[in-house]
Parts: sequence; structure tokens; C-alpha cells
Amino acid sequence: MTKDQKLRILVGTRKGTYVVEGNARRKTWQVAPVAHAGNEVYHVVADPRHPGDLYAAVNDIFFGPTVQRSRNGGKTWKEVATPLLPERKARKFEMDPVNPSTAVPRVINNLWHIEPGHPSEPDTLYLGADPHLLFRSPDLGGSWEPIDSINQHPAKKDWAPGFGGACLHTILVDPRDPRRLYIGLSAVGTFRSEDAGASWTPTNRGVLTPFLPEKNPETGQCVHHVAIDTADPDTFYRQDHGGMYVSHDRMARWTRIGKPLGDDFGFAVASPPSAPGRAYFVRLSGRARVTGEGHFQVQEWNDETRQWRKLLSPKAFPGHFGVQREGIATDALDPPGIYVGTTTGQLFFSPNAGKTWGKLPFQFPAIHSVSISNPTRS
Amino acid sequence: MVEVHFDSWLREFGPPARETVGAESIDQLLDTLEERYPRFRFKVRDEAGSLRRYVRVFVDGEDVSRTSGLSTPLTGARTIHILHSIAGG
Repeated sequence: MTKDQKLRILVGTRKGTYVVEGNARRKTWQVAPVAHAGNEVYHVVADPRHPGDLYAAVNDIFFGPTVQRSRNGGKTWKEVATPLLPERKARKFEMDPVNPSTAVPRVINNLWHIEPGHPSEPDTLYLGADPHLLFRSPDLGGSWEPIDSINQHPAKKDWAPGFGGACLHTILVDPRDPRRLYIGLSAVGTFRSEDAGASWTPTNRGVLTPFLPEKNPETGQCVHHVAIDTADPDTFYRQDHGGMYVSHDRMARWTRIGKPLGDDFGFAVASPPSAPGRAYFVRLSGRARVTGEGHFQVQEWNDETRQWRKLLSPKAFPGHFGVQREGIATDALDPPGIYVGTTTGQLFFSPNAGKTWGKLPFQFPAIHSVSISNPTRS
Repeated sequence: MVEVHFDSWLREFGPPARETVGAESIDQLLDTLEERYPRFRFKVRDEAGSLRRYVRVFVDGEDVSRTSGLSTPLTGARTIHILHSIAGG
């Protein structure tokens, strides 16, 4: 790997998209001028199948949501197609659940997550949106197909939104099989598909629902985010409203791992490709929704020893920090870098799996998402 | 024919600062503009055909966004302003 290969931290914020450039040494960083200034950017992601291609889920409060693409590492951006619900002439009326005699127009509220497809399907993208919507693009965002097995799911009338909305925020593709997909929906839970999204199985067994009277419902769990262990793609790490969990069987059953931490609430989780069996969580106070111990902290889960480890000294970054569901990311280098963005605009990073930590010398707006564009060999 | 004025944010989607359009209602006027400027589509109206929450339409200086809205007749009207509203934080 040569020194001029860029490692990019992609930061979606409440006020635009930021691309931070560094290299494999991960010591110095340069923040490029903001793009989509003033817009809520819920997710920015690189497409590793097409080096230099980035996608952003831009939610303009004035003029609606758009999918934006850059083909040059974030230097310039262009709107591509944005998925829409059926237009008014083609749609059935939806009825207002509060006043069932009233027909209400239904539109896409916000775009939440863009996921590049399997490497064997180099032009496929997936997109998750509110209200609980999943789309697939066969042509890198030139057009979008609704995945009606979710969008028209027979139980959908019973799916309620969480505080962040009715967001479909997690989309994972099995690296061994492009037909095996996983999704996570707020206040609904996770699902697995073995047939490229034609049908879905709820996968929430073992996940607590302290906010529901029923103890073990099939759905209704409020998943906050899920990370796949790419070295063992049957293993997943889940941050749920009801705690931190691991699954070793493609989400068939979940085991709570966060109980030793006490309050194991949080939103964000990541698992680095270069460190199998490791997952990083940012534990928050379930009541206050910020780091509850008075300092910034990342908890490392070791799935081999089944032990937790705190990665920061309490003295490193004192204060109360919020971290949203897409707020943590890892790079693909060895040792893995860890990157965490906060709701108050700090971007903390470790270039060495949590051994040492720094803070980018740049104040971002409130950070919604952090992801990594890894260096590639040319 | 009415003269339509666009603010600088809306001009990012194609229209010039002002444009002359023949239309009988705001809805029809927007249909015409969306045909002329494809990127303008879904920016002022959402896919359900409703005026977006933070966009305002004035007919000869009167804000019709929350009154007669998109069905406002343009008979005799001379000037339309399409503007983003006060919002954000």
C-alpha cells in the first residue's frame, strides 16, 4: 500500500456532507469543503466496487429527500434518481390510523441508509427509507424498484414508528451469497431473506422488549443497529433498545451480552473486517441518551473470550456525548481504525484498534453518520 | 400568462429568476414548470401532489399556500412568487 492512497472518513451531519481525507498512517487529516450545505445527511457511504464512488442520503427539509452521488471521492456531487412511493394517480389511498375515515397522502419522509450490493452484482444498490421502506436499484441509482415484500408487508399496519421515525436503517448483504439479505427497522426488528428479498423471516428471538407488555413477540423489537462479522458472516452484533446482543446463526437466535455492563443501551455498533470476533459499542445512558459516566467511552466485545474491555481512559475526553446509530465505523486496515462521531460534532478516532485515541481538530455540526472509504490498490 | 419568480434556492433545480408561463391554476403552472425543468419535479410538490411544508406560493403578493393552495385559479393574476419559507435552525 502506497502512502498516496486515500483513506476517507465520510461524515453525514445535520448540516451537510463532509469528506475527511487521510492515508493508511491515519495520523493527519484534511477536511474538504462541505457538500449539501444546510441539509440533513443521514448517511454517506463509499461503493468499494467502484473506487471513488460515494452516495449520500440527503434529506432537504424544504425540497424533500434526494440520493446524491459523487464519482470523484466527494469533490463534486450530482442528484441521481430518488425512489418515490407511487404517485397520486397510481396509488391507493392510505387511511389515517388516528381518524380512519380520512384518506391521507403518504410520501417518503426521509432516506436513511444506502448499501452497495454484493460484489457479484456491481450495479446493485439498496436503500432504506421512512416509512419502513426498502428499495433496490439495478443501475447504481439510475432507477429504483420497491421491494414490496417489505413495503406492502401484511403486518405493516401494526408497525409503529420509533422516535427517529419509521426508519429502515440497517441493510446487510451476506458476503458469500448475494441472495441472503438482512434488514433492521426501528420499532419492528430484524428480518432475513434467503431469496434476494422475495420473502422475509423475522429474526428477533431472544431480544428483550422492555417497552411492550408481551415478553417474546416475533416482531416489535426496536433494533438500533446491527453489524456483521465479515470474517464469520453467520455472526452479528446488535445494539437494540433492549440491550447488546450477539447471534452466531444468521440471527436465528440472539444472546444478550451487554448485561455485565449494567445499562447496555446505545445506538451504534461496528465490527472491523481485520479483527474477527471484535465488536465496538458506544454505551449510553438509557435515560439521558448520552455517555452516562461523564466521559467518552467505547466498549470492545471479544467474542472468543466473551469479555468486555473499555478502550479509553476516563480522563481522555470528559463530558457527555451522544452517538447516533450510524455514528461508529471501522476501517479495513490492520490494526483496524475506529471512528466515532457525536451529536455535538466531535469526531474521535483510534488508528490502532483502540490503543490510542485522538479527536479531529475540526468542529462538525451534529453528526448523523460516519463511514469509511478504504484505500484501494490501483 | 403570469410571471413566475423563483428564489435562489429553487433556481438550483433549473428555472431562471423569472419565467413567463400560461396556466389556469397553480397545479397546472407547476405541471408546466416540471416539464420544462425535470429536476424541479418533486421539489415544490411531493409525490402525493401536495405542496411541500416549507415552500410558499404567493399570487399577486397574497400567500395562498395554506388557503386555496395548488387549486388557486390564476385568472387575471399577473405575478407568482415561489419561495422557501422561514424554517430550519
